[in-house]
Amino acid sequence: MSVRPLPAGETTTWRASAREWLRSGNSLPFCLLAPSIFLMLAVIAYPMLTGFYYGFTTGSLLKTGKFVGFDNYIRLLQSADFLHALWFSLIFAVFNVIGCYVLGLGLALLMNQDVPFRGFFRVALLLPWIVPSIVSIVSWRWMMADQHALFNQIIGLFGGSPIYFLSDEHWAIAAVIAIKIWRSFPFMMLSLLAALQGIDRSLYEAASLDGASRWNQFRYVTLPQLSNISIVLCLLMTIWTVNDFDTPWLLTQGGPANATENLVLLAYRYTFGRNDVGLGSAVSFITLAILMVLVVILLRRQRER
Amino acid sequence: MAHSASPNRKRWMMFWLLVVITIVINLPIILMVMNSFQTTEQLVNRTSILPHDLTLANYRYLNERTNFWTFLWNSFTVSGVSTITSAAIAALAGYALSRFRGRLITGYSRALFVVQMFPIILALIPLFMLFRSLGLINSPWSVIILYTVVHLPFATWMARAFFDTIPRELEDAALVDGCSRFGAFVRIVLPLSGPGLAAIGIFSFLFSYNEFFVANVFLRDQDAMTLPVGITMFMQQYSTDWGSLMAAATVTVIPTFILFLGIQKWITYGAVSGGVKG
Repeated sequence: MSVRPLPAGETTTWRASAREWLRSGNSLPFCLLAPSIFLMLAVIAYPMLTGFYYGFTTGSLLKTGKFVGFDNYIRLLQSADFLHALWFSLIFAVFNVIGCYVLGLGLALLMNQDVPFRGFFRVALLLPWIVPSIVSIVSWRWMMADQHALFNQIIGLFGGSPIYFLSDEHWAIAAVIAIKIWRSFPFMMLSLLAALQGIDRSLYEAASLDGASRWNQFRYVTLPQLSNISIVLCLLMTIWTVNDFDTPWLLTQGGPANATENLVLLAYRYTFGRNDVGLGSAVSFITLAILMVLVVILLRRQRER
Repeated sequence: MAHSASPNRKRWMMFWLLVVITIVINLPIILMVMNSFQTTEQLVNRTSILPHDLTLANYRYLNERTNFWTFLWNSFTVSGVSTITSAAIAALAGYALSRFRGRLITGYSRALFVVQMFPIILALIPLFMLFRSLGLINSPWSVIILYTVVHLPFATWMARAFFDTIPRELEDAALVDGCSRFGAFVRIVLPLSGPGLAAIGIFSFLFSYNEFFVANVFLRDQDAMTLPVGITMFMQQYSTDWGSLMAAATVTVIPTFILFLGIQKWITYGAVSGGVKG
């Protein structure tokens, strides 16, 4: 393009061509996506970049502080709180994924049979998933709150001594994981049931013609057919568990003595409890980095399919 | 068959097995509803698991002495508005994903995927500071904006899947008749996707209505709180008043159940397209 001063008429032709681009079908995909792109830039991209910057500062919620380089990250790597949160996030994710996969697959296999009123069970077993987190936690807390609570009454019937589920560190961790499994198995069950129903019947017919037992049919037909979707589901569930705030916060607020504090809770406590935006942002950024690794693996998997 | 049990007997054995499993799994919810009709003294001193001398005292207390109805109203406004905004925006984007191909579209669907996995705490910290300078803390808009974006991935994928089922020939005919591409979308495709958009809307409403974390960060004033945040206030103030807590939780869950029954036949579809498709 030659460089020359733009005459007045040129701007109108630029405008005219912009108008024409807007009128023609070519601009339509962009226009359709414009509102959501704008929102994603404002609510995800902008905070992500500012958050990244905050991670290198000593800010409070009231004013941004000065730039301190990697100080926050170095402090985190040396802090027992952070290492514990990292460890708990890992434990929480691993046990939840295993637990809700096993439970979900078991129930999906049961419901894939010809059972009377199957539709009813399918709906009734989804309830733990759709009930608001606060509602389920209120009810679980009531069952395990103190030595007079339901679980301890039942333990008492069998002559056991009461268990302090929410004030003993190990039991609190177990309780958070158990409730998370309870809240997330329906998603696994639903997705695996859909996958089971998608398996080609003729594979089973061929297997039973070859004399394969029920177990061998499951082992050599069902499981391999489910392997792809299972990996995707487990990765998704890992990501969601790492991101979970509601279950540990509402049940124990991260206690006792921070035993059930995962990375998200730690970031929340640093930012909104201790008013240390720098440290909070650094923790959330590390969380993002961990999740991004999982997301990349997941995207790769899905492209292979 | 080598099995001695007749297929019919086996079916009913599995049925009863599922009945037991369903009751055990839903026990926390069942007990919550039953407990809400017992006073806290009855709950603490009771000897059997089944309730006796049912009472509405907790509900009366909820109605007369707490902000419960304010919380419920806030929940409905926040969920209602964010449902409309996210369904509208997702319908536009879903149409683009369904009908067009290209780098923009590919890039956009990648971005959607990342949004779904995004640790929302990272966005909440800078947004909290931004919203405070804009005076949006305790305003329903702070939460509505967040919910709209958080719902985008699944709402867009669901919308796209619905639009995929509508034959392109219908739009082509409209184009021949002199309709613009966008006009064809509004006049032909949208009216046909009513049920799909309704399902997306109900999903969005459910998610917003159930959401706790975002609301907990932005809504700090009793008058602005949505139900999940409001109930945590009950938990702190009357930590041992289990009767009222159970009543509050029971009323909270009623709209969830009603909406859920409305979309239960879509739910596999929604979970699979929202969660698993990229």
